[in-house]
Amino acid sequence: MTPDKKSELLQGTLDMLILKVVALCPIHGYGISQRIRQISKDVLQVQQGSLYPALHRLEKRGWLESAWRESENGRQAKFYKLSAKGRKQLAQEELTWQRLAGAIALILQTSE
Amino acid sequence: MNWLKSLVRKDSQEKEFDRELRFHIRELTQKNIDAGMRPGEAHRQAMLEFGGKEQMTERLREVHQIPVVETLAMNLRFAWRLVRKAPLFSLTIILTLALGIGANSAVFSAIDAVLLRSLSFPHGDELVRVQQYTPKEKSPQTFAAPTRLEDWNRMNSTFQAMTGYFVEDDSETSGSLPEKLTHAFVAPRFLQVWGVSPALGRDFTPEEELFGGPNAVLISARLWRRRFGGNPDAVGKALQFGSPIPGHRPSSYTIVGVMSPSFLFPDRDADLWSPSPVNAPYAQNRAVTWYTVIGRLKPGVSIGKAEADLATVQLQLGKQFPKTDAKLAVQLFPLKQTLVGDSQRSLWILFGSVTLLLLIACTNIAALLLARMMDREHEIAVRFSLGASRRNVIGQLLTEVFLLAFLGSLAGLGLAAGAARLFRTFTPNLPRVEEITLDWRIVFYALVSALAVTFLCGMLPALRGTRRGIAGALAKSNKTQVSGRNQVQWALVGVQVALAVTLLIGAGLLQRSLAELARVAPGFDPTHVLTLQISESYGETGDMKALTQRTNRILETLRAVPGVEAASLVSSLPGVPGRQQIEIKIVEGEQDPNRKVIVDSRFVSTGYFAAMHIPVLVGEPCQDSPNATPVTVNRSFANTYFGQGPAIGHHLISTAYSGFPLSGEIRGVVGDAREQGLNSEPMPTVYWCSNVAFPGTYYVVRTRGEPTALADPLRRTIHEIEPSRSVFDVATLQEHLTGSFAEDRLRTILLSLFAITAVSLACLGLYGTLSYFVSIRRREVGLRLALGAMRQHIALRFLLQGLRVSVVGCLFGLALAAASVRLLSGMLYGVSSFDPVTFAGVITLVLVVAVPATLLPAVRAARTDPMHVLRDE
Repeated sequence: MTPDKKSELLQGTLDMLILKVVALCPIHGYGISQRIRQISKDVLQVQQGSLYPALHRLEKRGWLESAWRESENGRQAKFYKLSAKGRKQLAQEELTWQRLAGAIALILQTSE
Repeated sequence: MNWLKSLVRKDSQEKEFDRELRFHIRELTQKNIDAGMRPGEAHRQAMLEFGGKEQMTERLREVHQIPVVETLAMNLRFAWRLVRKAPLFSLTIILTLALGIGANSAVFSAIDAVLLRSLSFPHGDELVRVQQYTPKEKSPQTFAAPTRLEDWNRMNSTFQAMTGYFVEDDSETSGSLPEKLTHAFVAPRFLQVWGVSPALGRDFTPEEELFGGPNAVLISARLWRRRFGGNPDAVGKALQFGSPIPGHRPSSYTIVGVMSPSFLFPDRDADLWSPSPVNAPYAQNRAVTWYTVIGRLKPGVSIGKAEADLATVQLQLGKQFPKTDAKLAVQLFPLKQTLVGDSQRSLWILFGSVTLLLLIACTNIAALLLARMMDREHEIAVRFSLGASRRNVIGQLLTEVFLLAFLGSLAGLGLAAGAARLFRTFTPNLPRVEEITLDWRIVFYALVSALAVTFLCGMLPALRGTRRGIAGALAKSNKTQVSGRNQVQWALVGVQVALAVTLLIGAGLLQRSLAELARVAPGFDPTHVLTLQISESYGETGDMKALTQRTNRILETLRAVPGVEAASLVSSLPGVPGRQQIEIKIVEGEQDPNRKVIVDSRFVSTGYFAAMHIPVLVGEPCQDSPNATPVTVNRSFANTYFGQGPAIGHHLISTAYSGFPLSGEIRGVVGDAREQGLNSEPMPTVYWCSNVAFPGTYYVVRTRGEPTALADPLRRTIHEIEPSRSVFDVATLQEHLTGSFAEDRLRTILLSLFAITAVSLACLGLYGTLSYFVSIRRREVGLRLALGAMRQHIALRFLLQGLRVSVVGCLFGLALAAASVRLLSGMLYGVSSFDPVTFAGVITLVLVVAVPATLLPAVRAARTDPMHVLRDE
């Protein structure tokens, strides 16, 4: 893992990534950090220092719901799942993101 | 209230954070072990990767706290900036609220101390006053015989203990002049019932409470400071008392203790407490009535239960002593109620008026805020477009009001802090007045008021100011047209007028009542009369003959003083409210058991009617006669019971004073005088002629010149013939009469002050609101003028708008007043609660002040220069 292959998360995108990962299936905090790493092929690494505050913030806003359940290896873990409000929020953020990404791409593609 | 819940849940929340984070670390450790590390190393690496767990917990805490603390702090910061930006506006509101909340908290501090808090004795709610009375007769007998008190105390099962007391004015003679001291004689268990001990020294010993035992006295902290300079050596010293009656009370009393300064019982004048031996031979008569009885209930026993218990006891006593006890019943009252008495209604009325005042202030401020909200529409629209929710904006607006209310209540507390002294100065007779203080309860009350005020003043403007859509639309349109919201502002003005009218009518009725009272013809001449008391003791009534001789000697000496026209005795001062209602029987004529003869009974000496200038209609009142007690009746009595027939020669008897039967022959009829109080019609009155001075008897002296000039000569003359007695309570009759209405006068003055403030506030509200509308309609007015409208019409339209609101407010005020004057009934004299003069006067007054308040802005509107306005566009 070399430093240049890791990318800092853009401001505000962590929330969207968390919502997306949680949307796949109910999952605990550790699972979320592993999943983001896996899916992004080790490019994106979520710092625990920002993950948990983000999770709690999203839950407070009502986008996530949580429950204590047994994890795959038998320990009690706090599982997060997406609420109906969160699903709407995710859809909106995805849309915004795609529009933004598209726009940035257009600008970058412009030849001088 | 999420933050509240989060506060409560704090503990479990912390545990949950910990569990969640620990799970993560354990998973990391497991991953490291799976990758082949040793467990210890795996854990260390996991901790390293995870970072500081404590820091993380702290950040999670922040997530859960931010919305409360931070938003509030931010709102407050912003609110403070607004206060500084509009200092005059803010100061107006703060001062208005300071007055409103301050006055309210001040009166509340009195209500709290006098009415709400339990008595300052330990478990004060267990203390009750026990009264015996005769259900068949109308006359209440508040005092109880010593033996009966002991029986009650022994036979009941619901009291911890019962005790009693009576009070005499005593003369302490160890100084150069006799000093009058208020001396309470107490039954056994006195301090036990109160639950207090002397601050210095000790309680009475059992020997001291027995007849013939050593004389002991407890002294008040006041006397201790005055006479002994607060020196602890006072305990053990002796006090000397005058008028010793052989075999009754020796003159020297040893001080055994000093009470604490807060022990003010039976009243705040009490200086001394001594045991009154219940086993004394003269205390064995069951018919004598001495004691005011106080009992302490057992914990948890209700008054009703105790009363039932004592009734059973009394029933047993009635069987045992049919002659004296069979007719008696007992009644219990919470001691607090008997101490607080009549002041309750005055205080609540005062509280009602200051609360009305605060409501008016709130309404005024709400109108101000509402007007300002229009200026802030742009700012609010910006907030919305920046993504603030309506709740956020309302929260912000309310925070602003709260800041003002909070500052106002702080200033108001300063005002309330001075209230205790104010009450002590102006209502020294208010019971428990020394207990009024500014403590945390009042601070809390003021803060709660600030909160209530915040919602009262702030909610309506905040709700209306944040209506989405309207906010945006109006931001553009308010310059050209006026929306429907001015209805609300006018309604607020109307409410102010209505509340002010209510207060004015209350104040007006009280003032009219006082004026009527001053006009009353009392039936006696209160000018040029000096009154005084000379210390006496109940013990001296043992030898009536000697007492009569002594009293006559004093009276004759008084009459001989140059400048004195007449002097006499009276059991209670004429015109000072008070009556001794008893049942009597007229010996001659048919006896109708259903027709009770209830009279006000007074004891007067020879020369009373001459001294008071009460006209003698028939006969010769109160000529000294050695055989029977001559009786004089007033005209009401003669008319009621003898009609046209002659009253002279009839005989009256009464057993109302147990152990002291009265009988006498009517020798004269005098004119009706308002003996029972200037505010009550004369009732049938019987004057028993007796030249005997009991404790509490007044000497009334009619003087040729200024009565106060004779105060000193009279005092010295009495000292010459009675060196062991003290002269006290020297005052003119006028002073007593004025004093007896001091509370009414104070109530009237305060209510009038509040009413004037209320009217001023309402006028300001009217003026401010109309001015505001004039200013926002400047363009419209300019346009109309440019199109040829008459200036008078413009002015008239605004004037009518303002007056219409005032009239509607007045009407509602009248209705409100009509519904609430009931509270004043019983406090009014000579005017009805619906006195048309007062009602009409108030309406006139309000309209008279409303005209200039509306005229000024209306004229300003008419003076608008159309060119100026149109150029601004």
